Amino acid sequence: MSVLNVRTVTKVFPGTTALDSVSLGFESGRVNALIGKNGSGKSTLVKIINGVYQPDAGSLDIDGEKLGFTNPADAFAKGIATVYQEMSLIPGLTVAENILIGRYETNGPFVDWKKTYAKAQGLLDEMGIELPLRELVVNLNVWQCQVVEIVKAMSCRPKVILLDEPTSALAQHETQVLFKLIRELKKKDVIIIYITHRLQELWEIADTSTVLLDGKLTGRVEMSGAQPRDILKLMFGDVEVKSRPADLLISPETILDVRNFTRSPWFEDISFNLKKGEILGIAGMLGSGRTELLRGIFGADRADSGTVVLDGKTIASPSPTRMNKEGLAFTPEDRKTQGLVQTLSIKANLCHASLDKVAPGGFVDRSLERSFAERQVAALDIKTTDIELPMTSLSGGNQQKVVVGKWLNASPKVIFFDEPSRGIDVNAKQQIFQIIWEQSRRGISSVVVSSELEELIEVCHRIIIMRLGRFVGEVRPEDVTIEQLYSLCMGGDEQ
Amino acid sequence: MKAEANKSFNLSRFSKKYMMEIILFFIALALCFTAPGFFTIGNILNIFRNVALAGVISFGMTMTIIGGEIDLSVGSSIALSAVLTATVTGALAKAGIMPMESAVFVGMACALVVGLLIGLFNGFIRTKFNIPTFIITLAMLNVIYGSAALISRGFPVTTLPDWYNWIGAGRLFGTFPVPALWLLIVFAIVFVIMNLTRFGREVYAVGGNPESARLSGINVSKVKIIILVAVQVLAAFSGIILSAQVMSGSSTFGRGYEMDVISAVIIGGTSLFGGIGKVWGTLMGIVFLGVINNGMTLFGVGDFEKYIVRGLLILFAVLFNTIQIQSLQKARVAK
Repeated sequence: MSVLNVRTVTKVFPGTTALDSVSLGFESGRVNALIGKNGSGKSTLVKIINGVYQPDAGSLDIDGEKLGFTNPADAFAKGIATVYQEMSLIPGLTVAENILIGRYETNGPFVDWKKTYAKAQGLLDEMGIELPLRELVVNLNVWQCQVVEIVKAMSCRPKVILLDEPTSALAQHETQVLFKLIRELKKKDVIIIYITHRLQELWEIADTSTVLLDGKLTGRVEMSGAQPRDILKLMFGDVEVKSRPADLLISPETILDVRNFTRSPWFEDISFNLKKGEILGIAGMLGSGRTELLRGIFGADRADSGTVVLDGKTIASPSPTRMNKEGLAFTPEDRKTQGLVQTLSIKANLCHASLDKVAPGGFVDRSLERSFAERQVAALDIKTTDIELPMTSLSGGNQQKVVVGKWLNASPKVIFFDEPSRGIDVNAKQQIFQIIWEQSRRGISSVVVSSELEELIEVCHRIIIMRLGRFVGEVRPEDVTIEQLYSLCMGGDEQ
Repeated sequence: MKAEANKSFNLSRFSKKYMMEIILFFIALALCFTAPGFFTIGNILNIFRNVALAGVISFGMTMTIIGGEIDLSVGSSIALSAVLTATVTGALAKAGIMPMESAVFVGMACALVVGLLIGLFNGFIRTKFNIPTFIITLAMLNVIYGSAALISRGFPVTTLPDWYNWIGAGRLFGTFPVPALWLLIVFAIVFVIMNLTRFGREVYAVGGNPESARLSGINVSKVKIIILVAVQVLAAFSGIILSAQVMSGSSTFGRGYEMDVISAVIIGGTSLFGGIGKVWGTLMGIVFLGVINNGMTLFGVGDFEKYIVRGLLILFAVLFNTIQIQSLQKARVAK
């Protein structure tokens, strides 16, 4: 048996301490789960173990033998293998070619395919898995790809294998195959570190769970005999739940009414309505269909059926162009690839959703364009010296404000916020909340999707809960704790 | 102290921003002193006349490339347009429907409409099936050349009225070449579109990030179709100018013009990745190519050598742009 020791590791990023003197040990032959909510430091710890980051203080060792990596390739060469949730396989090669890539059996300058395939078969047999070795990876299911990834990682005989959310893209029955493989790995004296956000899996696959919160180790639990509430307590701590300002009123008038909205397999038969000035949260785990629902209503993806009534008007086939005209705004979850045009200036980006207003009759009114941009820079406190500078000159928080400002310029009636606080610092986060509340005061409604449940509890008037594409309940933030909301999102019988 | 630092920063920014113009100025200056007959009104106007054919198309190509697309078939469209104009004119005149003098207007209209239809077709395939325009227009290059050859049966068509020659070879006030006039008019129109209209803003947004543009409510398909039509119509216009210049239409016209057109756009600082570029830069690029070509001619450099020089120019222009963009990004990260 061997032990990977993390000794008083600290990692500081500008503005935050991602890991604060964390010490722990991961033993071989067991599944060591590493859990924590977003921003708890678990990804930073993973990246320190696999050499993406170097710790600012502290050290790593295996059984006392010190580990120091300069980069991920170095870590891999020294026996740390990582299986990421996004695939690293080459779709046009076969399973065997992917598993042994770069390490084919050769005969002089030529690849000896017979030997190579035999070697790949040997690896599969060893782990008790059946896979079509000659099949192209492009034809495999997601779970089969995940299995290939693990076999590929194991074929290098690593000392440590990091599994980063391997089940996040899998359906229930598919995870079983994966778990069988992971149990097989336990016999191999390899240190398995399993990162997940699906708590219910822990009892099924993990032997111990290590919990991080705000960069600190909050606890280590032996899964046999552990209760869900113990884990939730460690994950969330004693959070001081802030509540929204008291002056945010909801008018009785309905502004958005969504009926039987369906886009299989993402979400099914979703109905809800939104009042003028209301802030509605949608809670759900990754894969619950929350983002897809917003995109469907906005027309970014085409829904299968259902109706959308916005401000009394039934909209038969929503498209972003149409919904912009009708007064619906959408700030997407990934601002870099979906929210902004990075090659253009702050000014240009702030006007992209309101071109009909700054260019009445097709010709741009340059002074109007300028004033539109400056208005949002002032109102949202966007930190820049010149609105002609490119987007890349702004910090994440300020870029997010530009996405919001772009939509405020379109004078919407309803704004959809998909993960508005992702990747921005605490101050910027509060500023975004202030903006959402300010819109509510002006009678503009919002729908907020966030994986940070405490944010939903802080920001919203009402929270609806989605699980596996279905609407499963509705709560008022005053009535729930984070732990309760988390349990509702996960489902099952944790209560 | 601080003001001074500011000033020097601006100077370096100025020189970076106008690098193209500065280099062009010094090359022209050098040619003035070394090349016999370079600095004469006649020669300068000549340069403009020579670049007009590729130049007219290059402004359409600038829109297309900024919008994230490309059209490799413009050379063949010159040929088709020239052949169509002459053939339609000849057919109408021969059938006695109208005299050649007025029939040529119908011929030109046909050429422009066919250009428009080709652009629509490219745009439709691009947006409906999401096939890269690089491939679509490479295929179309052959289709269009073949069509031009079929229509003309492989021979030059010369059924064109005498006045028509003015479009390609006339001189305003006896000095200013008419093709150069077309060049400046097209430049002015495209400059206004790209800098002052809503559509121009949309092209930059679509080329910079189509998904973000779409989610902002911009009709991405419409923008792509329009830029692909614009470049084809301008190619047809260029074909009309060429047929007027030589008073015939032939399927051998325009071979390799796409290279000159795309070179001018790239030398003018437009990024092949889309979203970045200036119409003014393309004008500089086209003049730059013209000046280099003219200088080489004046020095008696042969055609074979010219090819090599022009090829290397493109390579240097791309290298230069890439390095400049990278250094800008580094400066930003450092900040």
